Amino acid sequence: MSIVSQSPYVDMKALKKGEVNLGTSIMAIKFKDGVILGADSRTSMGAMVANRVTDKLTKVHDNIWCCRSGSAADTQAVSEYVRLYLDQYKINYGREPTPKTAAALFRKLCYENKNVLTAGIICAGFDEKTGGEIYSIPIGGSVHKQDYAIAGSGSSYIYGLCNTHYKQEMSQDEAVEFVKMSLTQAIRWDGSSGGCIRMVILTKNGVERLLFTPQEYQLN
Amino acid sequence: MSNPSEINGGSAVAMIGKDCVAIACDLRLGLQSVTVSGDFEKIFQYGGNFVAFTGLATDVQTVSTELRQKHALYEMVEERSMEPNTAAHLVSSMLYSRRFAPWFVGPLVAGINSTTGEPYVCSFDSIGSMDVSHDFVVTGTATNQLYGMAESLYEKDMSPEQLFETISQTLLCAADRDAITGSGGLVYVIEKNGKVTKKLLKSRQD
Amino acid sequence: MAGLSFDNYRRNKSLEASGVLPPKTTSTGTTIVGCKFNGGVILSADTRATAGMVVADKNCLKLHRLAPNIWCAGAGTASDNDKVTELESSQLEIHSQWTGRAPRVVTALTHLKQHLFKYQGHVGAYLIIAGVDVTGSHLFSLHAHGSTDVGPYLALGSGSMAALSVLESKWKEDLTKEEAMELCSEAIMAGVFNDLASGSNVDLCVIEKGKPSRLHRGYKQPNQRLQKQRNYNFDIGTTSYFEAGSEVFYISKQSDLETSAMEVDQVS
Repeated sequence: MSIVSQSPYVDMKALKKGEVNLGTSIMAIKFKDGVILGADSRTSMGAMVANRVTDKLTKVHDNIWCCRSGSAADTQAVSEYVRLYLDQYKINYGREPTPKTAAALFRKLCYENKNVLTAGIICAGFDEKTGGEIYSIPIGGSVHKQDYAIAGSGSSYIYGLCNTHYKQEMSQDEAVEFVKMSLTQAIRWDGSSGGCIRMVILTKNGVERLLFTPQEYQLN
Repeated sequence: MSNPSEINGGSAVAMIGKDCVAIACDLRLGLQSVTVSGDFEKIFQYGGNFVAFTGLATDVQTVSTELRQKHALYEMVEERSMEPNTAAHLVSSMLYSRRFAPWFVGPLVAGINSTTGEPYVCSFDSIGSMDVSHDFVVTGTATNQLYGMAESLYEKDMSPEQLFETISQTLLCAADRDAITGSGGLVYVIEKNGKVTKKLLKSRQD
Repeated sequence: MAGLSFDNYRRNKSLEASGVLPPKTTSTGTTIVGCKFNGGVILSADTRATAGMVVADKNCLKLHRLAPNIWCAGAGTASDNDKVTELESSQLEIHSQWTGRAPRVVTALTHLKQHLFKYQGHVGAYLIIAGVDVTGSHLFSLHAHGSTDVGPYLALGSGSMAALSVLESKWKEDLTKEEAMELCSEAIMAGVFNDLASGSNVDLCVIEKGKPSRLHRGYKQPNQRLQKQRNYNFDIGTTSYFEAGSEVFYISKQSDLETSAMEVDQVS
């Protein structure tokens, strides 16, 4: 996917007119046994909620997933390319790709096409050797390895909250509770985040999916 | 000069009758308010198919000529005459091939299917969206006026003679309320047996 | 697509630069919905096409057949919907001939989304894609920029808010075919009566597992024109015309000419 760049400057303008937007709260955290990815489920077109049960947690390989924010079309296209490349990687090299490889592919696509893409991605996966790994790839196409990552329009509201409450080596129950609590606050204060909270837990035992409806997570 | 489709002016209408179709256009060619010509025919014959093009005159000539080539090639390769629905799809494909750089034309296709004997009319927007109708289709700068006239005057199953009167009055009355449509009218009535009656209408010249 | 031509692009751009407006295209300012039921999936649409505030077509068909078992409903630019679905249906046919299998819904979806993404939203097709295949029944929506959504019920187009209000309040799990047909047509009717760009009739298509798809053209016709009591027929001879410029002739068939030419060469 090489797109000729028209301008040396990054176009930080909002989405193209009428484009479907993932005005989003997404996050991923490392815990004792692996990683948890979390996201709200709202997609909007301007003031309209286009989908209230969206799945922004996308599988790019068996044990590597990503959270998508920005343009729905762009992030879906990018993650489908990464899925393709990781499948080819496995065929060519006969071994499972690592989350680091996946993050490098995301970076390559997002950096080389920065002029045309509006994509903020968190790539997270479980690796047999290194355990859980989390990489944040924000709009310009840089990569940041982190213990936990938050992104999307709703993340602005929970930087302090997450910084205060995040602990390393949490148990799975603690970690799920932390993600749920953080996203609840992001959804609470961000108008373009909402709906359910979706989670994906990646451990050595495989993949587990969780869904929390508004009735389940809202305090009052 | 703001809308290319409205620089030269002009309108057309086609109607279905019983075992016949009619297609009519005005004869004006203008440059904005200045009338340049009063014999600019907008209906072109391709075998048994009659196609009207309204819009920007330069594009009307380009597209009608290109369609002539394609029609001739089709009849040579296929060794049969082209049916109206085929002609319509051909026009549609031609227009859509210029999806992001369109010709400023609004075509109409009218004809009678030579095997089924079914009359056929179809209109298009400038990028080839087909609107196949069971009664009438209109295009051009007097679109609104033509819709109004046709909706009220049209009757089902008209004879060729009756169809001529209805389509003519639809065109003439609509042209009276559009400053850049008029300077005469041209009507073709096509019958199932292949008979075509072409009539040049008397109309006001202002 | 066999390559779109950009020959007129520079000319039209320079016209645009001098204050010229781009031409009005027919838009299917639309209400379309899709809904799953316990034996398959249903698509439904209104039948109004508009160009600005003018009703361009009172009874246009917005349900397109991609394959015998896959259908889609289109909103947005009329010609883009027609062409993009025409193209996809022929490619699916070729694909299924090649593989010897009935096409899958995700194949159509992925192919269409890659096409639309390539054109960055300039091909204005907003689709709801539904069908049954070897993996079950499926319902997807696809926006012009290339993003897709999944759901048990979906609505798109300018009347989608009206349609969604019906679906959100009346949809339940495990609908029967009859319930789903009723729900879909009610949702479209909400669009027909409350959205100005939607109108006329309700078309509906039922796609069921192991049965041929059934298109109900004019499933509901709540806006039939009243029969005129009198008419405006003119007397024959009302319109005056020039005898000089008028003529009568007969259409000659291409095949007629061809046979007569061929006979010359016959050896008797």
